[in-house]
Amino acid sequence: MERITRELELYTIPSYSSWFSWINIHEVERFSLREFFDGSSITRTPRIYKEYRDFIITKYREDPSRKLSFTEVRKSLVGDISVLHKVFTFLVKWGLINFNVSGSDDGGNSGEGGSGTTSFEGKEEGEGEWKGRVKVEEGAPHGVRVVAAPNSMKPLVPPPPPPSVGGDGGGVVGEVGESGFKWPPLASYSDVYGELMLQEETNKGGVVCGNCKENCDSKQYEYTKEESFILCEKCFESGNYEKEKSADDFKLKDTLNQAVDWTEAETLLLLESILKQHGDDWDLVSKNVQTKSKLECISKLMQLPFGDLMLGAGLRNGGLLDIIGDGKQAAVPSNESLESAKAEEPSSEVQNKDQQNGDAKCEGPPRKRVCTGPTSDAGNYMMKQVTRISTMLDPHITASAADAAVTSLCYENQCSRELFDDNDGNYFDSIASPEASNPERYPSNSLSDIASSDKVLNIKVRLNLLLLIRDADGDADNAVGDKSPNPSEIVGISSVKNIIPLNLKTRAATATSLGVAAANAKMLADKEEKEIGNLVAIMIETQLKKLQDKVKHFEDLELIMESENAQLEEAEQSLIMERLDVLQRAFDAGIPRSKVA
Amino acid sequence: MKSHSPWSTARNPVKFRIPTADNLVPIRLDIEIEGQKFRDAFIWNPSDPDSEVVVFAKRTVKDLKLPPAFVTQIAQSIQTQLTEFRSYEGQDMYTGEKVVPIKLDLRVNSTLIKDHFLWDLNNFESNPEEFAKTFCKDMGIEDPEVGPAIAIAIREQLYEIAVQNVTSARESRINKKGRRGLEHSQTSKNSGNAADLFKLFGSKSSVVRKRKEWDVYEPMIDLLSNEEVDALKAKEERNAR
Repeated sequence: MERITRELELYTIPSYSSWFSWINIHEVERFSLREFFDGSSITRTPRIYKEYRDFIITKYREDPSRKLSFTEVRKSLVGDISVLHKVFTFLVKWGLINFNVSGSDDGGNSGEGGSGTTSFEGKEEGEGEWKGRVKVEEGAPHGVRVVAAPNSMKPLVPPPPPPSVGGDGGGVVGEVGESGFKWPPLASYSDVYGELMLQEETNKGGVVCGNCKENCDSKQYEYTKEESFILCEKCFESGNYEKEKSADDFKLKDTLNQAVDWTEAETLLLLESILKQHGDDWDLVSKNVQTKSKLECISKLMQLPFGDLMLGAGLRNGGLLDIIGDGKQAAVPSNESLESAKAEEPSSEVQNKDQQNGDAKCEGPPRKRVCTGPTSDAGNYMMKQVTRISTMLDPHITASAADAAVTSLCYENQCSRELFDDNDGNYFDSIASPEASNPERYPSNSLSDIASSDKVLNIKVRLNLLLLIRDADGDADNAVGDKSPNPSEIVGISSVKNIIPLNLKTRAATATSLGVAAANAKMLADKEEKEIGNLVAIMIETQLKKLQDKVKHFEDLELIMESENAQLEEAEQSLIMERLDVLQRAFDAGIPRSKVA
Repeated sequence: MKSHSPWSTARNPVKFRIPTADNLVPIRLDIEIEGQKFRDAFIWNPSDPDSEVVVFAKRTVKDLKLPPAFVTQIAQSIQTQLTEFRSYEGQDMYTGEKVVPIKLDLRVNSTLIKDHFLWDLNNFESNPEEFAKTFCKDMGIEDPEVGPAIAIAIREQLYEIAVQNVTSARESRINKKGRRGLEHSQTSKNSGNAADLFKLFGSKSSVVRKRKEWDVYEPMIDLLSNEEVDALKAKEERNAR
């Protein structure tokens, strides 16, 4: 009884022993104590090993603070003393027993045993390094948590494998490794982020030269046979690289390509000049952008998610909109198709759009927020996805998803919600447009129609993304009566609105889209469920009908049977009557005969 | 001949040796010359050249400042014991499935040791010296002479058992003709003191001893006072005569 309750307690064992399980015998044990598993003797079987092991460990855990000695254990165990000793040494070596006490050996623990009960020689060698401590819950031996020992001053390091046991101990540690057996991975902390951090660092500081390890600022040479190897200009020109690499293998790579930072204003300028003024006359475009070269402008546009498409589309009006509103979003009409009366209430929507634009102006520009997206490819793309996903659903759901996302983000980043709220109170509106559910905020016209609000929302959300382009496109969409602010205004606004870090925005968007997707999935699931229910109902109904038919059939049969029965009875009756008749006649005829006789 | 081994349990007979990791011979010296006594016990590697024996003897006499007469005596004694050991070498020994109880009951200076444990004759990885070292550490024995004494005591017992083993194997081989029935009785006679493995390790019994048995197998250490040592010495002397 006592033992059971004890097993529920926490015991500290080293992380490299996390394989241990009361129920099983691990391969480490099989390897180190092979004699128990080769079936060489009935005195050494896995069962006996397990009994030895369990007894010793249990014995130790009766008082984990006390050092358990071999002599103490062996009197309770039947078996070859040498084998017992080997098992005992094995357990000590793996820290399954006497682990807690090892660190504080010179303390009070050994007091009762005198100096003689200090630890075994082999163990002490590694003691100093054993800083890593792992707690294993007995209930779940595999769930290993790494905790720094309270008294360990050094940072947590993965403990070295235990030193191999000399003599007759489990001295197979080395052999085991050689024979291809894989040690269980260290259960403690591994530096998964190290690489990432390094990457980040290099990203931050630009590309690092493979030779001098310094940042390459302007130009770099990439080794064509191994992409990650990069030389800075200085090293390349001085021939300062490994001999087996020839100069021909290096390719000049203009770091400006990717390393140049584009501010939002610059991007806007770029797009503006491309769309509105200069088309693909890149010289003019770069002149317009001013701060960037022609090459940079081109590559930036290429990097934009719609860049190449846009170029291919020949900069037609609406081409952009088609691109962005592409795919299955047919329900959402483009600006042009709005006019072509494809939607149910095209005019009201168009008006509504005007309304929103006006709204945007007086309310502070909620949509401009999203317009700043293009500074980051990922962000922009994300926004697009979010928009697309959000169109699938009810605005309420999207709104609450966005809300939840921002809440948790704020919590996570310890930043105030006001960052989102105050800075541009209608940030979510740009994604989810809660106004759609508050039609009263609008002057009562078309939006009062809730049915159309969805569509309105869609358009609105889309608009947010398109706004920049549309703005830039200037007169193109004039049918709508565009009242959008001119580009310089956007630039001004966006720089003001740029207070929220871009990645926060992106994350908010990601979370929102996830939430929306989840909601969508839930809806689909609900639908499916309903459908399943329907089908089941139909099935049951059919079955019921079948049964009823059967019953009816049986009833018919019964009727037939009954009528047949009646006929039979009738026949019987007539037979009896006939028989009686015959007998009667016989009697009639016979009696006089007998009387005569 | 080997394949007709009378010991069906022993699959692989081995050549005679002390059933431990190192094949070392326990040597015991008890020499008395002109009232001067020299007693010692140590282990000797039988594969060492015999010339070492004399060197060792000389060295010992010199170190202990014994009269030179001891040199030949010591050398002779060691040589005799080594020769005896070698006379068994090369003979078949059947150690399969045999676990023997080893009992220790010895006095080293003022320490009295009593112990009882099992030893597997088939385990050629066993190491009495290591065992003794652990024993002394665990029991907190500080006297440096105790450890070697325990190891030698174990080795002597193992040596004795091995010798019995070989001679009985030889006898049973001689008696083998037409007397198959003898095999088992012979075996049981030889291993009369060996543990009943099936009883101890069978699937029905636990290898964890019952609590009341713990005392039997628990080592006992007594530190004697000088008077007690003297009394005991006197007793041992008497028994010896």
